[in-house]
This record gives sequence, structure tokens and C-alpha cells, in this order.
Amino acid sequence: MDRTAFLRQVRGELRGTRAPERPPAWPATPASGSARGPAAVLAFLEALAGVGGVGRAVARQALAAAVTAAAAALPEGAGRTAVVAPDTDAWREAIDAGLAAAGVEPVRPAPDGWREAAAAAGMGITSAALGVASTGSVLIVPGPNTPRVAGLLPEAHLVLLPADQLVPGLEEAMPVLASLADRSSAPVLVTGPSRTSDIEMVTVFGAHGPRRLEVLLIG
Amino acid sequence: MTGAAGSSFRERAEVQLANARMRANVAVAVDQRERGRRAIFDGLDHAGLVGAAQAIRDHTLARLDRYLGEFARNAEARGTKVFFAADAAEAVGYVRDLLAARGVRLVAKSKSMVTEEIELNRGLAEFGAEVVETDLGEYLVQLAGEAPSHITAPAVHMSRGEIAALLSRRHGRRLPEDPEALTGFVRGVLRETFLAAGVGISGVNFAVAETGSFVTVTNEGNGRMVTSLPPVHVAIMGMERIVPSFRDLGLMLPMLVASSVGRPVTAYLSFVNGPRRPGEVDGPEEVHVVVLDNGRSAILRSAYRSVLRCIRCGACQNVCPVYRQVGGHGYGSVYAGPIGAVVTPLLQGRDRAGDLPFASSLCGACDEVCPVGIPLSGHLLGLRADAVRGKGLADPETAAWRAWAAAWRRPETYRLTGLVARLGQLPLARGGRISRAPFPLSRWTGGRDLPAAAGETFRARWERRLRRG
Ligand code: SF4
Repeated sequence: MDRTAFLRQVRGELRGTRAPERPPAWPATPASGSARGPAAVLAFLEALAGVGGVGRAVARQALAAAVTAAAAALPEGAGRTAVVAPDTDAWREAIDAGLAAAGVEPVRPAPDGWREAAAAAGMGITSAALGVASTGSVLIVPGPNTPRVAGLLPEAHLVLLPADQLVPGLEEAMPVLASLADRSSAPVLVTGPSRTSDIEMVTVFGAHGPRRLEVLLIG
Repeated sequence: MTGAAGSSFRERAEVQLANARMRANVAVAVDQRERGRRAIFDGLDHAGLVGAAQAIRDHTLARLDRYLGEFARNAEARGTKVFFAADAAEAVGYVRDLLAARGVRLVAKSKSMVTEEIELNRGLAEFGAEVVETDLGEYLVQLAGEAPSHITAPAVHMSRGEIAALLSRRHGRRLPEDPEALTGFVRGVLRETFLAAGVGISGVNFAVAETGSFVTVTNEGNGRMVTSLPPVHVAIMGMERIVPSFRDLGLMLPMLVASSVGRPVTAYLSFVNGPRRPGEVDGPEEVHVVVLDNGRSAILRSAYRSVLRCIRCGACQNVCPVYRQVGGHGYGSVYAGPIGAVVTPLLQGRDRAGDLPFASSLCGACDEVCPVGIPLSGHLLGLRADAVRGKGLADPETAAWRAWAAAWRRPETYRLTGLVARLGQLPLARGGRISRAPFPLSRWTGGRDLPAAAGETFRARWERRLRRG
């Protein structure tokens, strides 16, 4: 239907209607939070554990060991490669050393090789733009250095996030999401591993996306 | 609509009542969801949150034309194509033309109520396309040729044994009766569908006017797959699904998820800001949004406008005593439960679904849980009144309700009806339940127990408490 006619029809049905104001504020929601600093780290780790995710606060010097532990926890039968997104280049040495110690091979595909490599990989490693302390969510922002498939197709997703990038609650993530409208085609807030309870209400992880989600908060 | 053709609510309900396991499973599912909802709002100012959410929805609806225009402009500025569809035929036609122009045969779809409303799958199948539902529960009911029985647990009427048998039959191999193994098997099957599909189709939970963005909300991640892997993504949204800004989502997203599954957020809140940008590694080359009217604009003008606040959380279904007994199938419509009973006759015409507003006990439980404050039981009453106005006093049911209404309007006669109920039930009640009652109440007790009226009235108890101080 012609757009102008469609909108004119809607306007006609609304004639004489007064719009109430939008609320300037609202009470705390189930996703609100107030924790900052070290308390935010604790809140984040607890919330993430509550949805079946794994979270760890690690010092930068201990990053390689944490990557090794994450790779060693790969599910049986998962591929022994890890696709590594370029957005983690700041931690490249620690990642490669950590993976090597677990016998997992790092792969950094060319742009057109990402889909195939990620589908075969046991693990995808990306960074996150921020974390939400109250919910244990991480914000993944696809772009030239962050392929969407890196956190979607492998059996496990390992997310690296500087601990000072936590916001207290979901409301504080919204201005960031709004500002991304021009910078990324599809940001996503990921909270715990992919899951379903569609068969007899039994929770099963790894419905479509990663079975295992681990977040390293780097302090 | 789904399996509704020609049958009345009563006929369908009788079939469903015979299915004892379905009833038991739906009851377990709705109780679990409602417990979760209650727990997560415990200690929060639920009424205050509902008031704010309601204000955002009412504000948006009152300026819907402006916000839709703003959404379309901003979405197009970021490369999304926006199409406005007056009805189901226009929406289905748009998608069909899109498939035809690209020679697409395989479509991966994530759960969306509005695509069921316009019977998109049938429309595309007639044209020769294979549309695969990728929400696990939806995939199972599609494979079985059935309809979803619950909004957030579509296959809750099927046992693991049935699911194993169904998948084994369809895929020619023996699968164990184990939820984990069955989920893993379907994961493998659908993974290939995501990677091979030419088009991904999703719904829209909220669209954001200020940026032309929209968001899908899933736990499984199929919404993220469908909007990321196929080269073309088509999103279909009811035109009311809009919020002015991202800021509003800070309230609306947790209200939706908490009311629906008792969590603050789902595993994937997946935003779309348009097609893949230059330099991005992956993502669809085209993103289309179809904005659907299909009877909604007519509701804007009516006394029922507030039903367009609905964010499809399903909380009203989870507390509804009728839904609990007949499940989603009993309504014979896409939208079930209290919201379905209100919105279906408004969207489809009262001649086709006019009996649905009578499928309610008007207990008001739905009003209490609705995160956007829709007066569902009031709307049900209104629709009944509209329907009966056409019938006149000759109808015995009308006469009975009028007498009841007249009696309950005055305290003396109200107390009298309570006394009659308590005395009249004495021979029937066993352990606080009435399982068998004489006609016409037998129509009720044939399918479920009636709680016996309390021995002492609420008024009496209240007065006693007041006296005690
Ligand atoms: S009517 Fe209210 S409770 Fe029911 S689905 Fe809609 S928003 Fe949820």
C-alpha cells in the first residue's frame, strides 16, 4: 500500500486523541542495577552463573592461564580450533599462548573464510563493548573486526571484556545501543549460553548457538 | 486461521478437554511461568512499572502515524527497505515477490505471531517455497502438522516419547527419548537450514522510531541466526510494535521478558540497524521490514484501543483458568487466552470469532498480570455486551446474566445469592470441589471442577477481622 495513504489512514483514526506524556523515570525494573566497581564485577559474575554461563575476573597477567582453562573445558567432540576475532588483537599473545597450552589451534580467517572456519571451530573468541552487571549480559558489536559468526556458530564462545566496561543495569546500556545505530548493522546483548526448554520444560543448552559461554573480565 | 474453520469454541474445547495429557502439560507450563513472573517482580513496584509501560504505549499509539513515519525514514536512511501492508494479502504478496525475484526456495523462519496471523507459511508454500520454523517447539509442531499450544512453549502438549517418535519417523533413524539428545539432533538439522536458506524471516518485538532499528528476543538464538546468516532478511511487524526511542526499551524489554519467562532478559536481545555495512565481515545484504495494518487501524478509533498496547508476553494466558483447561488449541485462533479472546474478534470480525469473548470466567486474573495494564476482562465484557446487544432479551443466557447483574448491584440481593450458592452446593461438594452439578452447571463441571463456595463469606470474615482489630 502507498505509504502516505497508510499513514493518512492511521492519522484519520486517531483524530482528536491526546497523547499522554512519556514517563520521565520509572521504578527499578527486573534488569536495573546500581552496582559499580568491584561490586559490579561480583554482580555480573553471579548473574551470569545464574543463567548457566561461566564468568571469571582475571588479572591481565593471568589471561593466558584463563584462556587455557576455557579451552580445556571445550565439550567432547568439539573442534580443536578456535576462531579468533581481530577485535581481540590487544590480547593476542596471551590468547595464543593459552590456546597452545590446551592443544587448541588459533585460526584467524580471511574475511570470506569466516563462516566456514567458525562452523568447524570448537570455540569463537571475541571482545565485547560492554557488560551489564545486573543481568550478566555482554554487548557484542559486529563490524570489520568482529564477525557475527564468531560468537554464533562455534560450540563455545569466549568473550574478553575489560572489567571497567561494566554498566550497572540494562537502562545504562541503552544510550550505547542507540549510538551504535550508525556504527554496526546488528549489535546483540548475549546473556548466557543459547538454551531451550521446549521439550517437557527441561532446560538444554546449545539450542542453536554456543552451548558454553564464558566471559573473562580483565582487570 | 489455524484449524478454526467452521467449528465453535465449544466444539473445539470438547476435543481438547478429552486430551488429558495436554491439559496436564499446559497446566504445569503455565504454573511454572506464572511462578517465575511473580518471583521476579517480588519486591519491585509492579504497579509503578505497569503505569510507566502503559504510558509509553499509550503515548506511542496516540501518535502512531508520526512514529511509523519516523521509523520508516530512519530505517531507510540506514539501508533497510520498508513496506507498508494494508492487509495479509499485501504482506504475503510482498514476501512472495521477493522470493520469486531472487529464485529462493528455502526460507528459515524464527517464531513470529504476526506471520501466523497472516498465514505466511501457507501463502509461501502454495507458491512452492519451503518455510522451516527454527524455534525448537515451533519446528516440532510444524513437523507434526499441529498448531502451537502455548505462546512461549509451543510444543508443551507433546511428550518426549512422542517427539522422539516423530523425529525418528521423519528423519529415518532411531532417536532416544532424551531432551538433550533430541535438542542436539534438531540443532544439527536446523544448522544446515540456516546456512542454506536464501531468506530469513523474523518477527519484531520492538521497533525503534528514533533510529529505524528493531529487536528480536529469543533464548535459543534462532532469531540471531535467521537475521544474520541468510543473504536476505525480512522482518514482519504489526504496526503497533513501535517505541519512540532506545531509552524506552530499558523498560519495555525487561517488562516483556520478565512477564513472559520470569527472567530480566533472554539469552539474545538481537538488534538490527540495517543490512551489512561496507567493511563488515558478514550479515545480510538486504533487510526488509513489512509494517502490517490488517485491521489494527480500525481498533485505534474504537473503545478497545488499549489492546494495541499488547507486547505479546503471554502472562495473561498463564493465569487464565480457561486457557489452562483448553490450551492454545482450544481457541482455534493464532492469539489465544484472554488477549486472543479480545483481539481475535476485533481483527477477524465478530461474525468469525464472536464466541471467543464468552470463553472466559471474567475472574480478572489477566488484568492483574498484564505488564501494560490492558483492562482485558473489561474488554471481554464490552465485546459480550456488543454481541448481546444484537441478540435481545429473548436469549435465555442474556436474561440470566441480566438477573445476575441486577441481583449483584444491591448488597441485600448479593448476600442472598451467596447464601443460595452455599446452601445449594451442600449435596455436591466433596473436599472443597464440585465435580458434578445439575444442568446447566453440568456444562461447566463436565470439563473441570468448580471450587465450592467458601463456607463463610468474605464479607463475614472481613467483618470478623475488623471486630478483632
Ligand atoms: S494482553 Fe497483556 S498480559 Fe496478555 S499478552 Fe498482551 S501484554 Fe501480555
